[in-house]
Amino acid sequence: MGNNQDSSIIYLRGLHKCYWVGTMPFPALHGLDLDIAPGEFAVVAGRSGSGKSTLLNIVGALESADSGRVEVLGQDILGMNSEQRTRFRLHNIGFVFQAYNLIRVFTARENVAYVCQLQGKSRKESMEIANHWLHEVEIGHLGYRRPDQLSGGQQQRVAVARALASNPKLILADEPTANLDSMTGRHLIRLMHELNHRFGTTFLISSHDPDVKQAAGRLIKLADGQIVESWEEVPEPPQSLSASCPANHLPLGERVRNYIKTRKQSRARKRRGGNQRRS
Amino acid sequence: MNQSTSTVINTILTVALRNLLAHRRRTFLTIGAIAVGLASLIFLWGFNEGLHRNMLGNFQDAIIGSIQIHHQGFFQHPELSKAIANPQKVVEALRQADVSRYSMRLESFGLAASDITTQGVMLIGMDPLREGEVTQLGKRIGIGRFLAPEDEYTLILGATTANNLQVKLGDEVIIIGYDRFGAMLAESFTLIGIITSGEMGLDKGMAITTLATLQEMVDMTDRITTVVISSEEKRVPSLTAELEAALQGDELEVMPWYSMFPVMKEWVTLHNGFLYLFLGVVLFIVLAGELNTMLISMLERTREFGVLMAIGTTGYQIAGILLVEAVVIGIVGILSGILLGYVIVLFSSNYGIDLSILLGSTSRFYVDPLIYPHLKLDHLGITSGVILIASIFAGLYPAWRASMLQPVEAIRNG
Ligand SMILES: Nc1ncnc2c1ncn2[C@@H]1O[C@H](COP(=O)(O)OP(=O)(O)OP(=O)(O)O)[C@@H](O)[C@H]1O
Ligand SMILES: [Mg+2]
Repeated sequence: MGNNQDSSIIYLRGLHKCYWVGTMPFPALHGLDLDIAPGEFAVVAGRSGSGKSTLLNIVGALESADSGRVEVLGQDILGMNSEQRTRFRLHNIGFVFQAYNLIRVFTARENVAYVCQLQGKSRKESMEIANHWLHEVEIGHLGYRRPDQLSGGQQQRVAVARALASNPKLILADEPTANLDSMTGRHLIRLMHELNHRFGTTFLISSHDPDVKQAAGRLIKLADGQIVESWEEVPEPPQSLSASCPANHLPLGERVRNYIKTRKQSRARKRRGGNQRRS
Repeated sequence: MNQSTSTVINTILTVALRNLLAHRRRTFLTIGAIAVGLASLIFLWGFNEGLHRNMLGNFQDAIIGSIQIHHQGFFQHPELSKAIANPQKVVEALRQADVSRYSMRLESFGLAASDITTQGVMLIGMDPLREGEVTQLGKRIGIGRFLAPEDEYTLILGATTANNLQVKLGDEVIIIGYDRFGAMLAESFTLIGIITSGEMGLDKGMAITTLATLQEMVDMTDRITTVVISSEEKRVPSLTAELEAALQGDELEVMPWYSMFPVMKEWVTLHNGFLYLFLGVVLFIVLAGELNTMLISMLERTREFGVLMAIGTTGYQIAGILLVEAVVIGIVGILSGILLGYVIVLFSSNYGIDLSILLGSTSRFYVDPLIYPHLKLDHLGITSGVILIASIFAGLYPAWRASMLQPVEAIRNG
């Protein structure tokens, strides 16, 4: 393993992937190279069919590639068998899907605790971890509801909490805001961004939502299975004006007002959380 | 490791049980189908067993008893020359085996003659005091009475024979027989009873008198040809073996009822065979029904399984979820089926099931019109076990299919 690989959480070289439907080839990825450093908040953008999902699925050890190198957390995941991949996903990667995809028969809390229990943690410990993450995604008070009793935005927050609960280094989110209205989607992205800053978890998000692209610490543009543009923002410290309020196109006065609003909200949140714990 | 394994197993169990409860109607319909199938099988087994017990009991009670002991070859060719050499030894063997219900007979071929005609008969000399220990022949005397100890040269005939001879109670019947050297003998008897059982084997071909009378007639005082034993059905095979061992080397044959009349045993086996066939049909229905439920449940959750696999659930664990669901459905179905079946059998064995409505007359087959179902544990065990195995199989295929799911495809298409 080279030095450059050691410093990357995702290291892709010459990645090729082609789907076959009968004898018809559907090329998805076309010699893709990519490095993602730990702690990045990266967004993959591109037209429909450009290969965003395919990329995320390969990085997430859900699909194999035809050729190329794929190293995630320094491990060659193309060389793993299906059992090893499952273990790898369980311990290293959190997933957020487009359609929330929670377990219907479990409460929000149980959904989040599920991965911890799969990891072998006791039920009690798992539930505590779940409570913690539900508070972090600001729905600590909804832990006892089942998915069908939650709004789409709330369900997606549960999904984010579930993705974080296994304590992964990397979270992959394939179009996490596509099923949400733009306001809710923006809140979700802001939440993920905040979590990225606070916990240093690497995020790789696919989206064609402009709000998501706005928030990107780094924007990777795909077209026809290749990276056509990779724009990177200098990582900024958490709680700074620019990081907490990513709506860069707004005039400064509005950005400051938004920033102050977020600070207030987060203070209020902390107080609420504290009160709840006490009562 | 152990602790974490049990956490994982608990989690899998929870997913499975929650899913069963989330689809209560479907779950309980499937459980209900299994329960009704099993309960009807249990009832049929019980009815069948009750019928067989009744039939075999009546058959043995009628005249042949459970086990007979004769001189070697007597059953095939009954001749007075094949009398039991040492009856005392047989009595001793019976005492050793703790058998108290037995009776002695002297049996031989003969002719019954009236003024009109002659009929070939089996001459049977019975001990009027002890016969009641082994058979219920006395109850089948429809006209007249059974033998009494002080009777001399009294005779009982079957209805058909009496009819053919055109004799009635009190009439004289001449019995012609042979002594053990083959010399012909004849005596005059008085008809005191007529067997009206409706059974061909009883109503025709027998002439019954007291043991003492027949012994005197053929000049074989204190000699017998046959010892008839009554035993619990369960004990018949072991008792046969026990007596055979005790009487080894005495030129005796120890014959259980099913060796003397194998057709009866075959009839029971055949009848049980039909029940196994029925078991197969119920099994198939249960299997198809539960398989259908499990497949629907599996297909419905394809996406969910894909997600579970994506976030770190293994194929084995997914298979485990479905298998647990299938087995829980099976076990709950079996338990309720046993309960339901048991209640039905208990209820019907209390009141009996009246066959006369269905069959009119049943006496022809040694069957009473009222049947009391009886549940045998091994039947219950076989049936429940087989249905449990069926329910496991109903879970295996969906479980295997679910475990082979590819997460990406399952999430996209589910
Ligand atoms: N299972 C499949 N079978 C055949 N072709 C596929 C399959 N999955 C993806 N493709 C093809 O691979 C290419 C990339 O697909 P992918 O789903 O990665 O695109 P995407 O960027 O995620 O699109 P979208 O924004 O619509 O989700 C497309 O041309 C698509 O048609
Ligand atoms: Mg996609």
